[in-house]
Amino acid sequence: MQLKVDNLTVLYDRAMVLNKVGLVVEEGEMVSLVGPNGAGKTTLLRAVAGLVKWEKESLKGTVGGKITLKGEVEFGRENISRLRAHEIVRRGLVLCPERGRPFREMNVRENLEVGAHLCTDKGAIEESLQKVFQLFPVLEKRQNQISGTISGGERTMLAIGRCLMAQAKFLLIDEPSVGLAPLVKEHLFDRIKDVHGMGITILLTEQDISFAFDLATRHYVLSQGQMMAQGSAEELLADEVVRQSYLGL
Amino acid sequence: MVIDILVNGLVAGGIYAVLAVGFSLIFGVARIVNMAHTAFYMLTAYFIFVGTTMLNIPLVASLILAIILITIIGLICFKLFFDRVKQHETTVMIISVALAMLFQEILFLVFGGHYTGIPPLAKGFVDIASIRVSYQHIFAIVTTGLILLGLWLLLSKTGLGKAIRAVSQDREIANLMGINVNQIFLIVMGISVALAGLAGAVIAPIYMVSPLMWIQPLTIVLASVVLGGLGSVGGCVVGALILGYTEIIVTFLVPGGASLRGAVSMSIMVVVLLVRPEGLFGVAFEEERL
Ligand SMILES: Nc1ncnc2c1ncn2[C@@H]1O[C@H](COP(=O)(O)OP(=O)(O)O)[C@@H](O)[C@H]1O
Ligand SMILES: [Mg+2]
Repeated sequence: MQLKVDNLTVLYDRAMVLNKVGLVVEEGEMVSLVGPNGAGKTTLLRAVAGLVKWEKESLKGTVGGKITLKGEVEFGRENISRLRAHEIVRRGLVLCPERGRPFREMNVRENLEVGAHLCTDKGAIEESLQKVFQLFPVLEKRQNQISGTISGGERTMLAIGRCLMAQAKFLLIDEPSVGLAPLVKEHLFDRIKDVHGMGITILLTEQDISFAFDLATRHYVLSQGQMMAQGSAEELLADEVVRQSYLGL
Repeated sequence: MVIDILVNGLVAGGIYAVLAVGFSLIFGVARIVNMAHTAFYMLTAYFIFVGTTMLNIPLVASLILAIILITIIGLICFKLFFDRVKQHETTVMIISVALAMLFQEILFLVFGGHYTGIPPLAKGFVDIASIRVSYQHIFAIVTTGLILLGLWLLLSKTGLGKAIRAVSQDREIANLMGINVNQIFLIVMGISVALAGLAGAVIAPIYMVSPLMWIQPLTIVLASVVLGGLGSVGGCVVGALILGYTEIIVTFLVPGGASLRGAVSMSIMVVVLLVRPEGLFGVAFEEERL
């Protein structure tokens, strides 16, 4: 299903974090969103997943709750801007957070089971679990370990696994490579390709330009809350201004 | 004497544990410090009193009706007073104190300040090693044990339990996994108040019922929760048992101990917290954002 973001604007109090941002990801694509730290990549994914709206409502009346959220988000032709985060998941659009964020006091298996919260069919849950274990054998080995104690790479894999358990059709992955050792990064690179190969559409954010350019086919460049450029890696690298000011290459 | 201490300590500790678990659950899940928690326990005892002595409803039916009624009242209080301000943790706490005082005043107005008793559910005694133990005490111990076991099974084995733990560990991610966080808050509030009600139902026939009976258990509940480690449901059970036994041991072994028991319990809590500020089973949480 297609994801379409239009005129998305987010202000935290008076700080403009996203300024009329738009993007489109077609079904089956793998697209990246690159930009330096603080560009607003995470905020964009959070807004799409319904978390900014949730933050705004649940912090109403506090300092952190002065949030402005404008613009439209469409998923598969349905306007999801007014849906709640837990309703968006139901449609197959799932966010995989930065550094994985496991439920730290639960073991690996329980984390995956929480991912399947919306699924009531025991057989289907077991089937997804086997699929996740096949993709990430290390999770099967660690299934009884408390997830607060697994490594950074395993946390990210667990988070992706958890999204697969939620029957994701479209994955938003926030900075999958951040803080990982080169070998782990490479392994994760291949696994994300595998997930894409399973027919799941992916929009991922990255600060590591080469990781993003090798993995995705199309890219958006975000800087200080504004969409600066978009295109294939070749197109972006050919543009001298984009290359020097936003990609730092 | 040893048997007396064992049995009475288990009754007191068990009741405190059931109360502390309910308090700890709604705190852990929704960050609501509900100072009216033991006031719900008190109201339940009064409902049972009214049911059995004034309306002549059979005791068992009174117990069940009282627990249902208090759960409904608890949910209404949550919706009316806590839900809309729950992001302001201090406000919620102050509102809950006001609520407890309100209940206390209403009970004073309706029933006066005197102590009232309720007939026991199970009459009679059994002799254990030549010590008489009332059936009501045995009933209290078995019931509190079953309640705690049931709760443990709910939290560790069921999908709802996993969702509840997920919300208490990271409500944002729980939300992202399709869990309706506000609905979980409501369910946990219901469970929490029902637990207070159950504790009231078990204790009403053993202890005296009065409009001030919420204060002493509340201090013990607060102490158990920090002793066990804020947010640790298992920890507060251990905390409650330690404090329950302390109370009984002091009462039995120290001359004039009945008036000292609160002070000794609180001293234990303070000493433990000086040595281990996070409590016996507490974990230090670091805040994280996406
Ligand atoms: N909850 C918040 N409150 C205030 N400012 C925020 C909040 N979340 C993000 N920001 C600000 O928004 C900007 C973009 O943040 P973020 O979306 O995390 O960027 P990125 O993921 O690209 O590094 C940063 O300047 C950050 O300080
Ligand atoms: Mg980020």
